[in-house]
Amino acid sequence: MSLSRIPRPALPGPSRRDALRAFSAGAAAASVAPWFAPLARAAARDPARKRSCILLWMSGGPSTIDLFDLKPRHENGGPFKPIATAAPGVMIGEHLPKVAAHAKHLAVVRSMATREGDHARATFHLRTGNLPQGGIDFPCLGSLLAKELHDPAAALPPFVSIAPQRVQAQGAFGPGFLGPRYAPLLVADGQQVAAVAQLADLDRVLKVQDLTPPGPGTPAETDARLALMTDLEAEFLAARPGLAAEGHRSAYAAAVRLMKADAGKAFDLSAEPVATRDKYGKTLFGQGCLLARRLVERGVPFVEVTLASAAGAPAGWDTHGNNFDQVKALAGVLDRGWAALMDDLTDRGLLDTTTIVWMGEFGRTPKINPQKGRDHFAAAWSTVIGGGGIAGGRVVGKTSPDGTTVEDRPVSVPDLLATVCKALGIDHEKQNLSNVNRPIRIVDKTAKPLTEVLA
Amino acid sequence: MRWHLSILAALLVVPASAADKPDSGALAKRIDSHVAAKLAAAGVKPAPAADDATFLRRAYLLLIGRIPMPSEVYAFLEDADPKKREKVLDRLLASPGYATHFATVWRGWLLPEAMTRYEIAAAVPGFEAWLREKLVANAGYDKIVTELLTAPVTPARNPQAGDVVLNDMYGGTGKSPLAFYHAKEGKPENLAAATARVFLGVQLECAQCHDHPFAKWSRDQFWGLAGFFAGIESTQPGQEFAPLREVSDRRELAVPNTDRVVQATFLDGREPDWKPRTSSRVTLAGWVTARDNPFFARATVNRVWGYVFGRGIVDPVDDFTDENRPSHPELLGELARAFADGGFDLKVLLRAILSSETFGRESALAGPRQADPRLFARFPVQGLTPDQLYDSLTLVASAGQEAPGGGFLQNPGSAKRQFLDKFALVGSKAEAPTSILQALTLMNGELMAAATDPDKSRPVAVVVGLTGLTDTDRVEILYLTALARKPRPAELDRALKHARGDTTNPKKRYGDLLWALLNSAEFRTNH
Repeated sequence: MSLSRIPRPALPGPSRRDALRAFSAGAAAASVAPWFAPLARAAARDPARKRSCILLWMSGGPSTIDLFDLKPRHENGGPFKPIATAAPGVMIGEHLPKVAAHAKHLAVVRSMATREGDHARATFHLRTGNLPQGGIDFPCLGSLLAKELHDPAAALPPFVSIAPQRVQAQGAFGPGFLGPRYAPLLVADGQQVAAVAQLADLDRVLKVQDLTPPGPGTPAETDARLALMTDLEAEFLAARPGLAAEGHRSAYAAAVRLMKADAGKAFDLSAEPVATRDKYGKTLFGQGCLLARRLVERGVPFVEVTLASAAGAPAGWDTHGNNFDQVKALAGVLDRGWAALMDDLTDRGLLDTTTIVWMGEFGRTPKINPQKGRDHFAAAWSTVIGGGGIAGGRVVGKTSPDGTTVEDRPVSVPDLLATVCKALGIDHEKQNLSNVNRPIRIVDKTAKPLTEVLA
Repeated sequence: MRWHLSILAALLVVPASAADKPDSGALAKRIDSHVAAKLAAAGVKPAPAADDATFLRRAYLLLIGRIPMPSEVYAFLEDADPKKREKVLDRLLASPGYATHFATVWRGWLLPEAMTRYEIAAAVPGFEAWLREKLVANAGYDKIVTELLTAPVTPARNPQAGDVVLNDMYGGTGKSPLAFYHAKEGKPENLAAATARVFLGVQLECAQCHDHPFAKWSRDQFWGLAGFFAGIESTQPGQEFAPLREVSDRRELAVPNTDRVVQATFLDGREPDWKPRTSSRVTLAGWVTARDNPFFARATVNRVWGYVFGRGIVDPVDDFTDENRPSHPELLGELARAFADGGFDLKVLLRAILSSETFGRESALAGPRQADPRLFARFPVQGLTPDQLYDSLTLVASAGQEAPGGGFLQNPGSAKRQFLDKFALVGSKAEAPTSILQALTLMNGELMAAATDPDKSRPVAVVVGLTGLTDTDRVEILYLTALARKPRPAELDRALKHARGDTTNPKKRYGDLLWALLNSAEFRTNH
């Protein structure tokens, strides 16, 4: 039970729309916490509420054998011990004790069987559901789901990516053939942990770039400038209907909404109580999880938070050497942020409509190398799905005692992504027209959703 | 290919000597006649001719990748020579800006991987240097492609050293097309797919795994084309960017997951004429770039047409199939023939297209029936490419520009690199919408601040600081700076109203005006 828990309002509360309106109208008061609880409660009760998805992306390939599929009786197991969780019979790694308390809402998939051991290709595979194929600009999962779940009238964009590390596989982080409308709003893009050790630094980087006009200027002056632009381009636009010109105008309208509306305040983490911020951990990932919660509360359908490094683990999950110290450090950051997110979503009644996905591009070799490291391993590893639409508290599949092979229920990337779609109420076989002029399914037709974990 | 009788007749009367010495002006007339024939058949009246300023901006953006400066616009508008449009095309095509810009354009088509993989970005300077050299010399496109397809892949120096390949590509010797092979991971199937797409205008990727569902290509045909690259292999299998080598007489490949082995075969079924101890890629290049290759010239003129108009005669430009018919088959055939007969001269082709009436039309829609993009009844409105947009904005901002050659691409911190990532085009230029982040960057970003901030902007400082200018002059100069044209009366009135709204702070007011113009759809598009 967290100190920051906000008392639930007496029913009947305002509708979501009323709450949002009140929220924007009360701009001056918006930094006061009590707004948030009615907002969230109303959001949770709205029958028309669409579902959301939060992806916790473990860039670099997390050592799942040390986190979710421990092998304590085998030499490949290493020093970490399994611990019991709130779900009977489900054991996970000792460095995720807070997450363990939420295991009833999580399904651990221990039988991921993929083939790509290269960071770039595997990242592309897990994040788009496809292998790179010349000429086809595959969209990433966030863009695909944002397209299905977005509210066209929303002030906030449908896909926010927090602290992405795109250097290795840039194509795996974009909207591909779905186009810029479903491109992620990038926050703290490429940010390195070392640069954001202080809370003030975190506040600064976890904001939308270029959201405020440069230099001094009153809102009235900004409006005058926008009015001048609108007037001067009106004739040009009127004479040239078409996507290039109209897309320009609609993007500006959406950007101005974001600049003006209190929607932009979603990114103001300083509005959160100190205790809440502390609960998530004063890390890029932790505060990123807090931001994800704030965005989902405001109806953003897809948010991803990348965990790519931590104090004590500069290379992140790519633990070719000194695996155990680094995984412990990373797990500490992960445990705190993830568990706080689960807490808050549960308290706000939002976990039922928010699907949580935890995954990286592959696992690590069960065999421990001479540098006490683990190398890339795609043949048998774990992912986790939970929250909305998922029947938690269970384990899917099984690996061999040495962790090197899947012994039961091999799960492919399309299987996993189709399961996420199902949990969100999306038909994963729906087709989008691609840039090569042929329809391509949201998830490849080979996909078999994991029906046993669907709620 | 169905030949129209009138076209056949026209071709028959062209004397051979004229065909040998290509004439852009005559070809431009042929373009207009084909486009006019289709417009007449559809009963659509085309848009009127665009004014000189509009023509100039289009030509600058397309040929050298940036908008013209106010002085260049003034000089052009005041030139009384009736041949001034031809003159400016000649001048731009002869300028270093042409080679630099088109090196970037072709690199974008040949090495799209450079924008998503830093290892490939690192090889861009050598690749663009090679391309630029060819473009400066105006080498025939057949020669350029032959050089690319036959480049020796075995590194000349230090083949045993660890990271030698990247060093080899852009270190010591510099200019090299080798990055193409590394971007395609040295794999025959990737090289075949890129060759088919860029040089032949056909998408064979699907046929890699199964017979093409929408076109006639079979899996064996795909692997038959890949067979020409069968000799290429990594010296360190499994190691990316390791040095490659080639077994020159290996010409067959096993079709994956089958027990079939296919021989290298041309897509049109012709028999390769093998030469001993010669890379099979030499044989392939000879077929690809032959004057009578049924794909090469057509795919190339179509790609260049698509670059200019944002839409190919066959569109998408690399999707020639029986189902995806050209809008103007006779035009495509005639352009391809002229291109091949004239020695695959890219400048002649560009000059012909840009001096046609079809190119010189207004983009404003004068009637609903002009909207059909397949008619080319008006100049299509197209989003600027990220490079065009960045280079034009930095010009206005007088901001530091990246040196040509693409070296900045390997630096994630480069402002241009970040801008290009954010503004990456998806799909066709004619349908490129703007994203929210792009709009925010344009409104509030550093580059826009440098261009329009009252205290930083050079154009604003100039128009406000120069004595002797009237307010009308000031508005006009800012219009020329941003939009390369003079304001219309209503625009002048509106701009003056804003400028005079606060006479205590003229820099702020003129900064606002420049900001509004640079954020307008008119600036953001080629139109």
